[in-house]
Amino acid sequence: MLKGMTRLISRVHKLDAGHFLHTGSQAPQNLAAHLDNQVPVESPRAVSRTSESDPAKHGEQHEGQHYNIPLQDLKAVFPHGLPPRFVMQVKTFNEACLMVRKPALELLHYLKNTNFAHPAVRYVLYGEKGTGKTLSLCHIIHFCAKQDWLILHIPDAHLWVKNCRNLLQSTYNKQRLDQPLEASIWLKNFKTANERFLSQIKVQEKYVWNKRESTEKGSPLGEVVEQGITRVRNATDAVGIVLKELKRQSSSGIFHLLVAVDGVNALWGRTTLKREDKSPIAPEELALIYNLRKMVKNDWHGGAIVLTLSQTGSVFKPRKAFLPQELLGKEGFDTLDPFIPILVSNYNPKEFESCIQYYLENNWLQHEKAHTEDGKKELLFLSNTNPGQLERLCAYL
Amino acid sequence: MAAAVFPAWLALQPGARTLRAFSTAVSPATRAPTPSPRTTERTSKYERPLRRKALPPRTEKMAVDQDWPSVYPVAAPFKPSAVPLPVRMGYPVKSGVPMAKEGNLELLKIPNFLHLTPVAIKKHCEALKEFCTEWPAALDNDEKCEKHFPVEIETADYVSAGPSVRNPKARVVTLRVKLSSLNLDDHAKKKLIKLVGERYCKTTDVLTIRTDRCPLKRQNYDYAVYLLTVLYHESWKTEEWEKNKTEADMEEYVWENSSSEKNILETLLQIKAAEKNLEVNKEELLGTKEVEDYRKSVVSLKNEGDNESTLSQYKESVKRLLNLT
Repeated sequence: MLKGMTRLISRVHKLDAGHFLHTGSQAPQNLAAHLDNQVPVESPRAVSRTSESDPAKHGEQHEGQHYNIPLQDLKAVFPHGLPPRFVMQVKTFNEACLMVRKPALELLHYLKNTNFAHPAVRYVLYGEKGTGKTLSLCHIIHFCAKQDWLILHIPDAHLWVKNCRNLLQSTYNKQRLDQPLEASIWLKNFKTANERFLSQIKVQEKYVWNKRESTEKGSPLGEVVEQGITRVRNATDAVGIVLKELKRQSSSGIFHLLVAVDGVNALWGRTTLKREDKSPIAPEELALIYNLRKMVKNDWHGGAIVLTLSQTGSVFKPRKAFLPQELLGKEGFDTLDPFIPILVSNYNPKEFESCIQYYLENNWLQHEKAHTEDGKKELLFLSNTNPGQLERLCAYL
Repeated sequence: MAAAVFPAWLALQPGARTLRAFSTAVSPATRAPTPSPRTTERTSKYERPLRRKALPPRTEKMAVDQDWPSVYPVAAPFKPSAVPLPVRMGYPVKSGVPMAKEGNLELLKIPNFLHLTPVAIKKHCEALKEFCTEWPAALDNDEKCEKHFPVEIETADYVSAGPSVRNPKARVVTLRVKLSSLNLDDHAKKKLIKLVGERYCKTTDVLTIRTDRCPLKRQNYDYAVYLLTVLYHESWKTEEWEKNKTEADMEEYVWENSSSEKNILETLLQIKAAEKNLEVNKEELLGTKEVEDYRKSVVSLKNEGDNESTLSQYKESVKRLLNLT
């Protein structure tokens, strides 16, 4: 009896919630019709969501809409790649939705038409702070993971040039320095993301770690990764070996390689690290950075290189800098040249509307004026259609 | 004022009756007006009002079309009663306005140029005209002046009334010349700009030499002319060590032999190798239209910096070069 009652009550509650959603979203639907006369009078879900969850099929018609990434996929594809605020949002809403936007669509178009016999093309996403470069990169990574490429994702290159403890002198090359902690963390995440490839790819050289341990020629790459994870001292060298092998073997055609680096301007800037005698360390003296630089050159083929410039987290760069030459510097630009620069800008009105719809649907905006025309105009003005700013503002509402 | 106060104080004394008339006579219009003087017609020289009534300020009598230079013929401090402008100056109190001009010390402190109105200056010019020679009729616009007289010398003379006629500021000489009027080739121009450093202005192409190290104006003028001559001749010479000019010394980006050229060459060679197209040579590759476009876009990007147009141009050229749709 009681159970039946509770079930009834819960159903009534659900209806009420549905009602609320329905009435709440009626108003914006009218407004959406006002704003853009071409929007068909369907449920507002069509404005903000699409059911197409395969990035390969995303096209112009999906622009501005959110698509859902299943949560198990999230763990497999992005063990370390998502920005922290987005991770919090995923946890809150219990779903991961990315907006399909023009820069990502453009990149997808290029990637679909890559010629794997030609040297890897470099694409650089740049834009002001908070416009969505990292999430566009994640969109691309999801696409490539679905297409079964091998993803080499460095979530934030800035983490490798600042605040690193325990720098060791490299065993491989006396002039360079190792970063065991960062390298081992990265190796763990790399393993999670690319499990299936690690047994397929075989190393083509013999690597001697120390007097007792060595990896024979022809053994799977997974062994090298294991060695790096277990023996933290050799982690940096393990990373170097992984990069070298992948570069060499990507041309063979067994797999396609996607090199995705977020904050690539860290590779050519300055570091905040110092040696014991307080002399500053240049980036090329860090073994991880040195090997990564070799990776983003276009002297290999069989994949693509997608890079993001980021001022957030960069060291010694002014806050307003976002243009490629400002952030990369002369050295970086010369190394990356020729590349395709892709600008990621603020939301256009359609995308803004879609974002607000998404928040309203998830009951994120609790303010009573949030769904009114005036409220939206206010949000638009306050955030200047900047996605990052809008997300921060809505967190308070 | 003190004279007026003194007798009043005396009058306050109980026994000073004789001074009572004095005190009442001392209270003219400035004091609180008594309805009628206590003593009638007992005015003496002392009783004449010691202070005149304040007259209305001169500004009220000024006509709109008066001769202003006669009001302020020379540099004079600001006289609020002589300047008919409703000028306010000073920091206002809360919900107030700046102070008015009467008794305003701020207006007195600052220099004023009320003696140099356009009318006054016209009069000065008229007076000076008889001492001047005529402007040559052939030089009626700026281009002709520049063509015939490319070098401009600026000197200042100072006149002041004082114990000495000399003024140390008078020895400064400024020489200005446009580099386009000098006969310089590319290397000479770059070398000259490097030699003079800050004295060259890129936007107006003017070299400015300001000398004041000699005690006399004549000497400074000679020195400035000497500097110009030396610069000109030195920039035409090429020294041994100029061969070691590196990329970092270059004023603008030069594409030939740069890393960008190397990169693009390597990329193109790899593309060709991938397509099994081995009969290509470097010159041919570099001579294509796409590479030419790319070269232009890189040069503009490096020289002008990043902006929307240069970046989009660069993007288009790279896309075409790498055959991306």
